Amino acid sequence: MTAKKENPGDLLQGTLDLLILKALARGPQHGYGVAEWIHAISEDILRVEEGALYPALHRLELRGLLAAEWGTSENNRRAKYYSLTAAGRKELAQETEHWRRLSGAVARILQTA
Amino acid sequence: MISSWLNKTILRLKALKRRRQLDRDLDDEMAFHLAMRAAKLEALGRDPAAAQHAARRRFGNIGNVKEQSRAMWTFTSLESWWTDVRYAGRSLANNPGFTIVAVLAIALGIGVNAGIFSILNGVALRLLPIPSSRQVVSVDQIFHGKLHRNVHGETTLVSYSEYLSYRSDNHVFSGLLAYEPFLMATLASASPKQLFGAAASCNYFDVLQIAPSAGRAFVDSDCAASGTGAVVVISDELWHASFAADPAILGKAIRLNRAAFVVIGIAPPGFTGTEPIPSAFWVPFTMQPSIEPGREMDALGDASLSWLALLGRLRPGVSLEQTRADLAVISARLDQRHPGGFATLVIRPATFLGRQEEHSFVFGVGGIILAATGLVLLIACANVANLLLARASARHKEIALRLSIGASRWRLIRQLLTESLLLAFIGGACGSVIAFWSFQGISSFLLAHLPRNFPPLALNLAPDWHVLAYAFVLTVLTGMVFGVVPALQATRAELNTALKEEGYGAAGSARRSGRLRNTLVGVQVAVCMILLLAAALLMRGLYIAQTVDPGFRMGGVASISLDLRSQAYDDKRAAVFQSQLIDRLVSLPGVDGVAQAEHAPLDDDHNWTGFLFPGEHDNIDVEFDNVSPAFFTILEIPFVRGGNFTEAESRTGANVAIISEAAARTHWHGADPVGQTIRKGKQELQIVGVARDAQIARLGQDPRPYIYLPAGPEQQIRVQLLVHSAVPFRQTETAIRGAVHMVDPDMPVDVTPLADNLEIWRTPSRIVASLSAALGALALVLAITGVYGVASYASSRRIREIGIRVALGAGSRDVMGLLLRQVMRPVLVGAVVGIAVCAGVSSVLSAMLFGLRSYDPIAFLVVPVLLLGVALLASYLPARRAMRVDPVTALRYE
Repeated sequence: MTAKKENPGDLLQGTLDLLILKALARGPQHGYGVAEWIHAISEDILRVEEGALYPALHRLELRGLLAAEWGTSENNRRAKYYSLTAAGRKELAQETEHWRRLSGAVARILQTA
Repeated sequence: MISSWLNKTILRLKALKRRRQLDRDLDDEMAFHLAMRAAKLEALGRDPAAAQHAARRRFGNIGNVKEQSRAMWTFTSLESWWTDVRYAGRSLANNPGFTIVAVLAIALGIGVNAGIFSILNGVALRLLPIPSSRQVVSVDQIFHGKLHRNVHGETTLVSYSEYLSYRSDNHVFSGLLAYEPFLMATLASASPKQLFGAAASCNYFDVLQIAPSAGRAFVDSDCAASGTGAVVVISDELWHASFAADPAILGKAIRLNRAAFVVIGIAPPGFTGTEPIPSAFWVPFTMQPSIEPGREMDALGDASLSWLALLGRLRPGVSLEQTRADLAVISARLDQRHPGGFATLVIRPATFLGRQEEHSFVFGVGGIILAATGLVLLIACANVANLLLARASARHKEIALRLSIGASRWRLIRQLLTESLLLAFIGGACGSVIAFWSFQGISSFLLAHLPRNFPPLALNLAPDWHVLAYAFVLTVLTGMVFGVVPALQATRAELNTALKEEGYGAAGSARRSGRLRNTLVGVQVAVCMILLLAAALLMRGLYIAQTVDPGFRMGGVASISLDLRSQAYDDKRAAVFQSQLIDRLVSLPGVDGVAQAEHAPLDDDHNWTGFLFPGEHDNIDVEFDNVSPAFFTILEIPFVRGGNFTEAESRTGANVAIISEAAARTHWHGADPVGQTIRKGKQELQIVGVARDAQIARLGQDPRPYIYLPAGPEQQIRVQLLVHSAVPFRQTETAIRGAVHMVDPDMPVDVTPLADNLEIWRTPSRIVASLSAALGALALVLAITGVYGVASYASSRRIREIGIRVALGAGSRDVMGLLLRQVMRPVLVGAVVGIAVCAGVSSVLSAMLFGLRSYDPIAFLVVPVLLLGVALLASYLPARRAMRVDPVTALRYE
């Protein structure tokens, strides 16, 4: 039951995955950091329930796109840091390209109207 | 793809190892996030409590997120299944009484089924014990329409020329062999020995891929033409038993049916041919005329003589369908030789007993027995289903509670089914052990009950993966059959009533499950009635068989069987042999009569032919025997009218006949037939006497017309001898053997008490009766357990009601009547149905076995009384216990 509700369509999930990969492209980060970065960059347009980030992080970890490591945060708390693996980098490059083509196509379609 | 799956699995396995760690990590991760967020909000000026609250709101449902992540990291479905199994195991362990009864019932049901199946498997499903046996198929011809066919063995066998056509014209076999099965030959030695063997095509060993352990196999030149190849390959067993495992036997000649064969090879140990009766030797089939002298057949020249069995080894990659299509073309071409008829081919993987007639017989009988054991399993299933139903109503409240707090019905059904499957598997495992034990028991029982002189069988009856698969499928089916209905029933609770229910109530579901229980009991009783009645009918048949008067004397009579034809005798020498032997026999001590008969009474073989009776236009088939006058004296068959043949009539084979009373009754209707004539072909036979009815050809039937003809000169080569002696059989036997060997030292002879022939007729009834009695007893025990269980349950459910009734002044007789009526109603319905069904099928049974009458009053009276009596007792005991409860206690009874 719950599993279905959590899958808000491929586009949205794909988007979230892409955002996470992008966020981690700058270096290792914990979940809260990823959430903050998304908020900051997207100027709060993409309002995700912050909790939804974690299943996505774990899914990417299980797919081998992310590596995870427990470390200490800036305020000395135990935190789980995620970083991109080689596969993650490749995936990010592919998805970025894919996304660019798609958004370009959508933009052209909207312009012709 | 695969690597990502592997990665996932490894990470999951790691997580599985540190299950608690995973939960703690998830907690930590979320807590860290919430703390950071709250700290930030606080820094923006919220008060701490509001900041924490807001942080949680922004985060969403924490439990849900954790659940999702956990599901990702673990094998949820597998684990919940495992939880179900553990739960089921616990709940079974908590009810040891229930579990033991249920497991026992299933184990018996599955065990007996698997045991019987392992025998059927060994007899008819197991492939031949040869290398790459999967590639080897048997080919049978089935003829349709009118065509003339000579038969030596079975009609499905092929002729020599047909074999050559199939062999040269096919495109599917790497090799096709032919052999004459069940060839009997006498090995000449100090004590002549009867052997089974085969006359085979010279590629026999090559196609089977069996290499002799010493010497060589046949080569093509051995089979070059009729009469070539006087060579023999002997079995390892014969080599050890008759030639002391002496390697020097190779190259020496042995005599089979008086023809010399040079031993060229010894078959590897364990190879005994491709028939269930082990072969001791193999000769090239071109030697058939030499090894079977005196058979009136032209084995190699007659194109329509059925005598060869075919086995072919398929080329790699050729399917059965391709084979069928390819051989059908050849078969159609062969059909052109005999207009008016055609042949179809049956091609199947080669097994023992694989020829069409054997195959359909084995599967017919096996099917009936499996159906009977299936019925026993059905009773066992009904028992367990009933137990589960009773337990489900005890767990009614638990299930209703779980449903009401949101468990899905499917989830509960899955759990209940897991429980019944677990039960089935425990039972099935125990059952397989029983099967292993019972197949040995059953097969040694069967072997012990085969008639004397029956050759040992080369069957491997030990369970293999076929049997295992059968037991497995049966177990799953069983678990489903007895589990599904109770599971559906149990989870269909009306929550409202169920939760309020106290102890017992008139809730709809209770009534429904009551009806279900009654149906199950009815089915059990009906099935049990059928099995018991069948068993009783068979036992009655056996009893009649044991006590029937065959109408002739058996005591003190020995039967001597000789096969002069196979020993290369002709009519003239046979007559000399017979008269010399009779002279010696009559002078033996204690012997007071020697008679000749082509077939000894109740022999497994008998003659019949068409006779023309006065006033009739058509020939009527009647059984007959060629006998000497002494036949009637030593068997003490009296004459009703007329008298015996004279010695002279017998010696010359005069045209005279003696008919049985039944023949006189049927064709002369009370008039005196003596002096009248009947015709047999061109012969006019004068009737000289009417003999009292005796069961010469077959046992256990109403007297049928029978005709005795004199054993004249033409019969001397085939007659058997009957000797009556006052001394014990063992002495007579030795004396008879001595006498035969004095006349011809190499003559194989078989001496048996005539009474043994009765055994041949009784054996099938005895085997079937014992088997069905055992199954019937098992069915009775299971069904009565079922009735008892239902009765106890019904009584215990009504204890409070009984208390009220007694308190209000109901007599114990009324209450008892009430309880018994409740349980006995489905029992009676089941009993009536069972009797009706059995009455319908008993005519089938009576046709199969001797001495059985379909509506035997004793069986149809005793069995229902017995079954109903035991059922009444089984329902009386729990009812009495319920009534003994003190009314005050009963009223408080929850």
